[in-house]
Amino acid sequence: MRHHRTLRLLALATPLIAVLFAGLIGSVVIAIAGKNPLAVYKTMVSFSLGRFDSIALILFRSTPLLISAVAVSIGFRANLFNIGVEGQYFLGSFFAAWVGFSLRGLPAIVHLPLAIAAAMLGGMVWALVPALLRVRRGVHEVITTIMMNSVAFSMVHWLIYVFLDVQQTTVPGMGSPRMRTPMLLETVRMPTLHSLLNPLLSPLGLEIPRHVYLNYFFPVAIALAFAVNYLIRRTPLGLEVRAVGHNPEAAETQGIDPNSVRLKAFMLSAAVAGLAGLSDLLSYYGYLDIDFPKGYGFTGIAVALLGKNSPAGMILSAFLMSFLRRGAEGAQVLEGIPMDTAVILEGVMILAIVVASSVFGRYALAWQKKEARAHADQ
Amino acid sequence: MDATPVISLRSIVKTFPGVVANRDINLDITHEIHAIVGENGAGKSTLMKILSGLTRPDSGEIWLRGKRVVLTGPGHALALGIGMVHQHFMLVGRFTVAENVILGVEPSRRGVLDIATARSRVLALCRQYGMELDPDARIQDLPVGLQQRVEILKVLYRGAEVLILDEPTAVLAPREVADLFSNLRALKESGKTIVFISHKLDEVLDIAGRISVLRRGQMIGTVKAEDATREEIARMMVGRPVLFSLDKPRVTPGAALLDIKELSVEGRLGNLACDRVSLSVRSGEIYGIAGVEGNGQTELVEAVTGIRKSKSGSTSIMGTHAEGLTPAAIRQLGLAHIPEDRHKRGLVLEMSVLENFLLGKQRRSNYVLQHAINTREARSQASRAVKDFDVRVASLDVAGGSLSGGNQQKLILSRELETGPKVIIAAQPMRGLDVAASEFVRSVLLKARQDGCAILLVSADLEELMALSDRIGVMFRGRLVAEIDRDEATVERVGQYMVGTTAEVAR
Amino acid sequence: MQISEMIASSIRMCLPVLLAALGATYSEKSGVVNIGLEGMMITGAFWGATCAYYAGPYLGLLGAILAGMLLATVHAVTSVTFKVNQIVSGVALNTLAYGAARFAATTIFKMATTTPGVPRLPTVDIPILSLVGWLEPIVKTLSPVIILAFLLVPATKFVLERTVFGLRLRAAGENPLAADTVGVNISAMRYAGVIISGGFAGLAGGYLAVEHTGMYVEGMTQGAGFIGLAAMIFGNWQPVGAMLASLLFGLSEGVALNVESEIVPYQFIKMIPYVLTIAVLASAIRRATPPAASGVPYERGGE
Repeated sequence: MRHHRTLRLLALATPLIAVLFAGLIGSVVIAIAGKNPLAVYKTMVSFSLGRFDSIALILFRSTPLLISAVAVSIGFRANLFNIGVEGQYFLGSFFAAWVGFSLRGLPAIVHLPLAIAAAMLGGMVWALVPALLRVRRGVHEVITTIMMNSVAFSMVHWLIYVFLDVQQTTVPGMGSPRMRTPMLLETVRMPTLHSLLNPLLSPLGLEIPRHVYLNYFFPVAIALAFAVNYLIRRTPLGLEVRAVGHNPEAAETQGIDPNSVRLKAFMLSAAVAGLAGLSDLLSYYGYLDIDFPKGYGFTGIAVALLGKNSPAGMILSAFLMSFLRRGAEGAQVLEGIPMDTAVILEGVMILAIVVASSVFGRYALAWQKKEARAHADQ
Repeated sequence: MDATPVISLRSIVKTFPGVVANRDINLDITHEIHAIVGENGAGKSTLMKILSGLTRPDSGEIWLRGKRVVLTGPGHALALGIGMVHQHFMLVGRFTVAENVILGVEPSRRGVLDIATARSRVLALCRQYGMELDPDARIQDLPVGLQQRVEILKVLYRGAEVLILDEPTAVLAPREVADLFSNLRALKESGKTIVFISHKLDEVLDIAGRISVLRRGQMIGTVKAEDATREEIARMMVGRPVLFSLDKPRVTPGAALLDIKELSVEGRLGNLACDRVSLSVRSGEIYGIAGVEGNGQTELVEAVTGIRKSKSGSTSIMGTHAEGLTPAAIRQLGLAHIPEDRHKRGLVLEMSVLENFLLGKQRRSNYVLQHAINTREARSQASRAVKDFDVRVASLDVAGGSLSGGNQQKLILSRELETGPKVIIAAQPMRGLDVAASEFVRSVLLKARQDGCAILLVSADLEELMALSDRIGVMFRGRLVAEIDRDEATVERVGQYMVGTTAEVAR
Repeated sequence: MQISEMIASSIRMCLPVLLAALGATYSEKSGVVNIGLEGMMITGAFWGATCAYYAGPYLGLLGAILAGMLLATVHAVTSVTFKVNQIVSGVALNTLAYGAARFAATTIFKMATTTPGVPRLPTVDIPILSLVGWLEPIVKTLSPVIILAFLLVPATKFVLERTVFGLRLRAAGENPLAADTVGVNISAMRYAGVIISGGFAGLAGGYLAVEHTGMYVEGMTQGAGFIGLAAMIFGNWQPVGAMLASLLFGLSEGVALNVESEIVPYQFIKMIPYVLTIAVLASAIRRATPPAASGVPYERGGE
């Protein structure tokens, strides 16, 4: 029994080791840029955690990362590599934006959920081709989804152009229209958490500032992480997904259709992926343009891996990634270190975590086998 | 004759976590064909791995022709003249015979392969030892017996004087076994020493000069083949008298529960793997399918269980047409499937024992409560099944992959039979199991037979098949070439059908 | 003349894909899937431009190759020594390369997304061929890298099929257990395959930056690393097939660049290479014969 606890501790330790290792590499990178790593890290931490607006911002920014990670993790469970989250949330955001600026006269209670549904549909539509190719033709989804990402940007660019409303998007004084969708209606906007939380925070002397749009998608994302986890671990569909992910032949022999399960998992992953941009779209921007935030898809992969597909892990990892970005912003402003340090650290962290997990995984299995052998000899 | 043994093993000890594989083994091998027998888990493979340099012993010595050696690896062993011919061939399917033989010791000129020299050397070796091989043939196009020859040629090419063969006849038909044995005798005549690991006593008595028996890691003794009997060796292997024929209770077969008519199935490469196979299995009967692996049995099982679509023909399970149905639907009809590869198709090794038990049943109403898996019900059922089938596990939550082979197979049985099927398809069910586990599986199958199940048993092990079956069908090149009642079947007769010596009997 | 100009630009466009596809062949034949080729190309492009800026085009290209090989070494370490999932490692490296390029650009040149202009290699003409009128635009002012790349096609075929190294490399990808038993060093073969692929990708990036555009611009690789993988698959893991597939992609990009259409919006034309890649992958799968052990980490003594 003691051994099991040791294994558990080690399992928790692996992400920590990864983070520490990344920190080490980061120090080297910072040193190359000519600064003292410890001073820079100190600045990063105080900038990120020492100010309440930073904390609120970190929570706000972790929302899309968490949603993206949940999407990726669903794929991982089925042994699918949905690298296409990037394109799926772009399309999802466009579908939601279209619902937002085209459908008039709907009450918010209908309009907002409709936009959310549209976003999920958009993600699913964008994943359909890679999913079908995988299921029907055995084409590995990595390259097809990456290609779809590239196509997504062009596609959304064109879609914005089609729906461009010259009247609405021309800023007075500036001649040509901005390349973005018309403004989304009020009824589709997601309210922020200020009205809920600020009354509770003011006795503490804290306040979520106006410019941080922390909104209800944040708790939605957290709930989503736990809901998906429940689905995967405790429902029959979840069992099927995991069986197909680990050993499709065994699943097939037992009457589970691997292709049908993979398709479901892919579509589910894409539907969740479609939501990743909504926090930005429906709360912050209110319109969709070419400069809509990119990169949630790839960072989501890092968050999913670092968090080992578990809800608590992914939530913490999303916080960590946002913390890094925020800290990097501070480092850039205050110490002159380029912000891309954060991106490098992300890449290093993914590598470190998978290496550590691989080593740990093999060790744990060997131990279990030894235990089983000893037990069987009794 | 030189009195110094070619190989001497002195006090070899090898332990793995939890088990002593070799316990103080002493063995002298002279210029002969020497057989090492023992059950699964007796330590034969470990001993041979030590001898061929794949593993280092914890203590003890290896002496080669009177000189002590310490083997640092298989390459070193080979350099000293000890070559291992593996049970599972170490061949690259897409390469040619010559390429496989020379891999690692390629003749070359400044890095460029000298294929011409390679071919001529291979041909010269073939001539020297009386083996026939085409150096330019691709391995994947060759039959198993010829592939084995390439394995042997590999070690001869590297100058092996001692050849160790690990269960070489496991995948061969009787005629190919005869070819192999004549090759081995020729090799011995030309000065090679042969060490032969097996658990097939008839063959061992045929080919070997002396036989050494291992049991539970210990060397029990060495006997001369000409003086020994099967019973004596078996007793040494198991430690108690062994029955060679099982007394099966007489069961009167009932109606046909599984009907296969003119079933044709296409294989992986588009070839016709099963060609108009027809058979039926009755309630209370075990129908054994004999045949060397690769003659369509796998595809037949896949078609009957719904994993593979058949090209033409029909399958009926208890009267209902089953061809074209999904595996899930076929299982609903009352069919259970014990797959031939428990790691590949039987279990999901990463999931727990409980989850493996639920595999396939996860949507049954008794296991689903409010969209979630009803853990309490599932656990109680699983615990009961695990107990009934003697699956030794610490808990239901350990990973399936941590169980021993025997326990894994018992888990699969518990899962399959818990639903009370009427038709059971068992493919190589005793493969890789030790005596105790094999006996258990056998008893389970016999009980199911007694309870009125129709059992289709596919096995490449003729002994196992003859012990259990009531009727035996032989598959050769995709056709069912014979159907014989057990009482009229002999190993020779079945063996001849297995290799196509006796032509198909019109039925 | 328009056709031959299109062919000329097609050849230039297909170069990165061709080099990536050839490089990928080495890696895959040895048993390692290299999704990180794109990142290695980016690294090669950036460091090629940087080295060329400071030390001229020859050293620039050399720097590109070395940079690609260095990043590939990381992939080899994680995939071969630590037996990590090869796709995850590749994706991580792409992220890393992207961020590292920006970081280095900012640090060295104070600009995140571009470098200053860099000198090119002297161009080459093939005099005999330029006598044939319509070939002239194609064979004039060729970059030597183009000639090198096309020469590498038969060279790769020769290495893989007729050398000891090639035989062992392929054995490591087809049946590593068998090869290990006869003394082939699987790790070494796989490291070699991966690092060579990184070198090819780095060269591709270097070509883009130094020869083609004359500077490094973020995003200039445009997915060529991934398209190269598709070309390799379409070419059935053979050098000549990969070359033909790459020419096809080059043609599609050449068409996309030189065609102006009133009817088809330019965004759709931009999509052509990517859609083509997907179409190619969809059709190629039928007769695909990848190396048998590709993508599976090798562990000795697995019981």
